[in-house]
Amino acid sequence: MKRKGLLLCIFIILLIFVTGCWNRRELNDLAIAVGIAIDKSGNQYKVSAQVVEPGEVSGKKGGSVAPVTLYQATGDTILEALRQMTTISPRKIYLAHIRILVLSESLAREGIRDSLDLMSREPETRNDYFIVVAKQATAEDMLKILTNLEKVPSIRLFSTLETSAKQWAPTTTVNLDKLISELVSEGRHPVLTGLNVIGDKKIGESKKNVETVPSPADMQYSGLAVFRKDKLIGWLSDEEGKAYNYIDNNIKSTVGHVNCPDGGKLSLKVIRSNTKVKGSLRDEHPRITIEVQSEANVGEVQCHLDLTKTETIAEVEKLADRKTEEFIEKTIKKVQQEYKIDIFGFGEVIRRSYPKAWKKLKKNWDQTFVNIPVNVKVTHKIPYLGKISNSFLEDMKE
Amino acid sequence: MPENVKISIRQFTVLVMLITIGDSILVLPSIAAFEAKQDVWISGLIGLAVGLLAVYIFSMVGKLYPHLTLVQSIQEIFGKWFGTFVSLMFLFYTFLSVVAHTRETGDFVTSVMMQETPTQAIQILFVCIVIMAVRLGLEVIARTGEIFLPWIIFFFLILVILLSPQAEFEKLQPILENGIKPVLHGSLSCIAFPFMELVVFLMIFPYVNQPQQIRKGFLQGVLLGGIVLIIIITVSILVLGPDHTARSMYPTYSLARRVTVGRFFERVEAMLALMWTLTIFMKVTLYFYIFNLGLAQLLKLKGYRMLTLPVGLLLIVLTPVISPSITYFNKVISKYWPYFDLTYGLLLPLLLLAVYFVRTKFKRSTN
Repeated sequence: MKRKGLLLCIFIILLIFVTGCWNRRELNDLAIAVGIAIDKSGNQYKVSAQVVEPGEVSGKKGGSVAPVTLYQATGDTILEALRQMTTISPRKIYLAHIRILVLSESLAREGIRDSLDLMSREPETRNDYFIVVAKQATAEDMLKILTNLEKVPSIRLFSTLETSAKQWAPTTTVNLDKLISELVSEGRHPVLTGLNVIGDKKIGESKKNVETVPSPADMQYSGLAVFRKDKLIGWLSDEEGKAYNYIDNNIKSTVGHVNCPDGGKLSLKVIRSNTKVKGSLRDEHPRITIEVQSEANVGEVQCHLDLTKTETIAEVEKLADRKTEEFIEKTIKKVQQEYKIDIFGFGEVIRRSYPKAWKKLKKNWDQTFVNIPVNVKVTHKIPYLGKISNSFLEDMKE
Repeated sequence: MPENVKISIRQFTVLVMLITIGDSILVLPSIAAFEAKQDVWISGLIGLAVGLLAVYIFSMVGKLYPHLTLVQSIQEIFGKWFGTFVSLMFLFYTFLSVVAHTRETGDFVTSVMMQETPTQAIQILFVCIVIMAVRLGLEVIARTGEIFLPWIIFFFLILVILLSPQAEFEKLQPILENGIKPVLHGSLSCIAFPFMELVVFLMIFPYVNQPQQIRKGFLQGVLLGGIVLIIIITVSILVLGPDHTARSMYPTYSLARRVTVGRFFERVEAMLALMWTLTIFMKVTLYFYIFNLGLAQLLKLKGYRMLTLPVGLLLIVLTPVISPSITYFNKVISKYWPYFDLTYGLLLPLLLLAVYFVRTKFKRSTN
């Protein structure tokens, strides 16, 4: 009996501890941030958080108010600014569901290193969002535009980047871990995709933006920002971005065209592509070989070509090889001459294959990179032509 | 003190495996990768090899007095006064291990999951269950291990299989970038944390029902546990990379956060955290049991159970006392603790063997 009484007492005492989480936060106590934008204002950070309006995105109702709202605060550190938002927002900003982190170009030119520590230290944040740079604009503007198809603009920014990287290739998806590993690496400098607003920003901020068929304002990804360590030093164009992704083996699918011998154009859908970057040493001088193997289908024919002949296919393959080789080589030249830093990770390649030589090379790797000979070899395979073989253009009499 | 319990050799093997995994699964990748970088898997292999050797030595020590626990055989070998002193030192080591592991559990939960919860709340809950398990005795602890094992293996496989698409084998290159030295440095913690701490099993050798199979079971358990650890270490490097592994406090947790299957099976880290909560629980429980048992045997008490509550209180009080901050704690754990482990895991058994043989020889020659 005494034992039972004692047990009962213990159970009652234990009850105090097992009532659930110590500091639980219910869904309606949270301001779920989906996008964060960081600008520099003077010596301080201006942080903007795009927060979802739960009533607007859930269920069938909604429509009267914007699906998201934007809180902004300025502070000496990012965390201070985020916490200062509680003076405007009724709820604490919850960071676990961020989809996109936008850094302004001016901040990027000054250096991004200090803005990233919070994101990797804070236990709430994860590694499943993308980091982009607002091209020639403030970062906060990127979170102000309302969007169609996807109600929450940050989620749309995430999906847009993911889809365009998969299907079109000049953009690249960079998450925090990848960015940090490139920042600390001695043989590679990071790049981030650029983002800007096209159209009328003022209308874009209001509901009118999603009421008309063509949205007056939209956000578009374009170009890759080139960083020297953590400082933005320039931009790559879309084609150069595509070349970057070819070298980085990021191509999932893309479309490109070749000029036919008779002047028209023929476009090719790349179905899969694989790149191998190899380093070699000749008398302590490193050289790089890039081998791309692409499989592409004929997508569109705008010229006279007899696609029923195997020789024609071989000819188109050659044309595609040469064209891809050309723009990859051109991009490498440009980066070597204009930016003079290794964004392609050639240093990492050398480090992996020749760790001993790398110890000497790494001290002034970027100078070495400028003159490094690169050999690009692209092989296309065109296995399929689509639904039809020869184009009807062949049978049309002029 | 007649402690009339018996566990089977299978239970013994399971216990060895779980305690080898113990807290190492959570902290070892980070500590070892700090020194060995991408070659940390080699450190793990070295650790396992040395660990198997150490376990062989443990079983030799156990065979000297198969019916006595370590505390008793220390006194038998070293004599009453010096033996008592060494036993006390050994018990101090076990107790400090219990404190450190409890602290580690609390730190882990507060650092990554429940930031604002007082660590004490978690530790008190944890220690309550540990005390309960220890009061129920070794047989119950061993059976608990058997029940936990399938779950731990299940979660382990889930983690490894779901992360395999994210593995990048080039992260292992270049092999031996800075020579063998950092790898050996890294292997120190790989030897000490999982394997040297197994010395406490010398305290439960007499309770295994088939003493002649102890060595085999011990080696099997260590091999299985070691393989699990090496796989986790390698997966950390393959998925997170050496820099990130060394930088994160709990790389295995970062790994679990990476699990994502088709955008709907994700954010499962809290579930996967169950795996190492269970192994740490087993480790703390066994250490706590051994400390109480050893103390009772040293003080010639009738049973160890009456010690559990006061020692538990002591444990709760000591956890915040042993270190003021996580930086201090991590520094002690990574810089000094391996040597602490080696002192009791290697030096003590070797000393016991040496003294035993010298004494028996001396006795024979005088006879």
